[in-house]
Amino acid sequence: MRKILLIILFTTAIFAKLNVAVTYNYLGEVTKAIGGDLVDVTVLSSPKLDPHFITPKPSLIAKLRRADLLIINGGQLEIGWLPPLLKRANSSKINTGGIGFLDVSGAVELIDKPKSVSRAYGDIHPDGNPHFGLDINNIIPIAKLISMKLSQLDPKNSSTYNNNYNSFSSKMETLANSLKEKYKSCQGKKVIQYHELFNYALRAYGVESLATIEPLPGISPSSKHTIKVINLIRENGIKTILQDVYHEKKTAKFIADKTGAKVNIVPHDVGAISEANSLEDFYKIVAKRICQ
Amino acid sequence: MQKIIGGLSIVSILLLQADNISLEKRVESLEKALKANKEKLLNEKMKKALNSSGSFNQKSFNPDISLILDGSAVIRDVTNSRYEGYSIDGFLDEADEIPFHKNRGFNFNYGELGMHSAVGPYFDADAIFHLHPDEFEIEEAYITTKKLPYNLDMKMGKFRSGFGRINSIHQHAQHFSSQPLVYEAMLGVEGINDAGVAMHYVAPTDNYLMVGAEAMQGTNELSFGEANQNNLYVGYIKSGFDIGDNTALLTGGSVALGKTEANRDSRLYNGELTLKYILDSYSSLNLQGEYLYRDREDIKQAGYYTQLIYKKDSNWEFGARYGALNKNAKNQPDNLKKYSAIITYSPFEFSKIRLQATQDKSKSFGGKRDTENEVLLEFLVETGSHGAHAF
Repeated sequence: MRKILLIILFTTAIFAKLNVAVTYNYLGEVTKAIGGDLVDVTVLSSPKLDPHFITPKPSLIAKLRRADLLIINGGQLEIGWLPPLLKRANSSKINTGGIGFLDVSGAVELIDKPKSVSRAYGDIHPDGNPHFGLDINNIIPIAKLISMKLSQLDPKNSSTYNNNYNSFSSKMETLANSLKEKYKSCQGKKVIQYHELFNYALRAYGVESLATIEPLPGISPSSKHTIKVINLIRENGIKTILQDVYHEKKTAKFIADKTGAKVNIVPHDVGAISEANSLEDFYKIVAKRICQ
Repeated sequence: MQKIIGGLSIVSILLLQADNISLEKRVESLEKALKANKEKLLNEKMKKALNSSGSFNQKSFNPDISLILDGSAVIRDVTNSRYEGYSIDGFLDEADEIPFHKNRGFNFNYGELGMHSAVGPYFDADAIFHLHPDEFEIEEAYITTKKLPYNLDMKMGKFRSGFGRINSIHQHAQHFSSQPLVYEAMLGVEGINDAGVAMHYVAPTDNYLMVGAEAMQGTNELSFGEANQNNLYVGYIKSGFDIGDNTALLTGGSVALGKTEANRDSRLYNGELTLKYILDSYSSLNLQGEYLYRDREDIKQAGYYTQLIYKKDSNWEFGARYGALNKNAKNQPDNLKKYSAIITYSPFEFSKIRLQATQDKSKSFGGKRDTENEVLLEFLVETGSHGAHAF
């Protein structure tokens, strides 16, 4: 009996998958691509909701408690919901500074870092714009970082993680190049967006964002600001309004009606809209809806 | 032909040599520039080091500091002098302290100064000070452990107990401006807030399951208060799970076992339920209720509240609450009731303007039970590095 028990314990130890909790869907997709069958991925938030405001449901504490590795976006995107959950789960493994904590913002260069930081400018991100996952070129270093972390936690399988990374990165590079080629003509296009959510993707295709529908980050649209935006669209002949899935869409529609510009719903994460259910489709749709 | 080739090769050798010489020169000048640059950088570094001033600068180790300000304007059909000594039959003889919304007219309720910092790899420290116009109060000050085995965490110091649903939640984080009747009657506005130790354990299960145990001083005189020794032990179990993608449920049970001033047993039991239905990123329906049962010096009393909050969007929140005390000592009323409704407007995440209307049929003023009607407008701002709020 004891032997059987030992065997069971032994085999479960060998075949135990790494339990990885990630804050957002795109991180889950990358982790699955790198970890394959060796990891179990739990995504903490729904891609249909605002990534800044995730309801800190008690069930998330249980998910964190069982995680061997927590991968976060960083750049203060999770600051409004994750810290109290992490504190309650109190896992020394995945707490900040623990071996099982990974902030992927370290892998990329953040843009839009504010020159001065004050809440008078709204809900700004002091470290820079945290929505870097929207640029396909950023996903490769993020995948590299994740493969390095998985290898660190599970050195036996490091060659698998590395091979998976190599095939992932070449696939993404090919896609990035083809999208860049396909949407070359979109360079210099001018758009407006609801929140500064798409800046990284806009930069990748040389598109310029002239204004946001919200007057300041985290502040609901006002009529005064909306009139300003309408005038700006008319003056610059802007034809595209980029709208995310989770903010109210009334203001964008109102502006579109007044100016004749078109509202394009752009996903901010994998799974935000049904057509963007894989990383590849996500980046294809982002590029298409920004450029067309 | 050969001559031509020979001549060409000589020319090319000469050319190559000339090339080599110019290359050598370029490398030399580059090396020189590199060296000069290196020296320049070193010089600059030395200049700074020569007059160094930041050696003992510890600014980056400063704790996270937050400041919360809370004030209100109150219209009430009871005069201030009558209101100050209110009582609740069978529960509260005379309110000794009214920290919030005390006066008709204008109130500055409190400034709350909060600090949070990591002490080292093993402990975090938190302190929350309440500044009243003529009082400095340590609301909470405690350390928490970070590296205990089995995901255990321990809290030591003065803190709000995890008893029930709202005892640990600060006034500014609650949906209503005032407390539910049952808390007011059994624990007072301050709740269970004592020096002591607490231990929490989160089980590695699919659903959230947390158990907590606390040993506290037991200074709350409404329910406990034995002063010769520490007298209060609190235990709770809380569980939460999701129903589908959009509904989250949190439920729990708590007990608090202590002794009263007369060194007699006092036991407090609590059952709680919170149901949150997420409509979208900024909108939700939140149903919450608690039941409290007290057996104090062999007198059995009970009360409850239920509240429904509708968060319409990032700016507007509407809510209603019904509270009652439905079990009381012999010859004391068991139909004490209180109704509240709120409308809260948040122009921005960190500021709230709340209108609260209350009809309170539980209180007695000057020994006579009377209905109190109240409308108040509360203003609340949170500044600085204030941590996110829990569920």
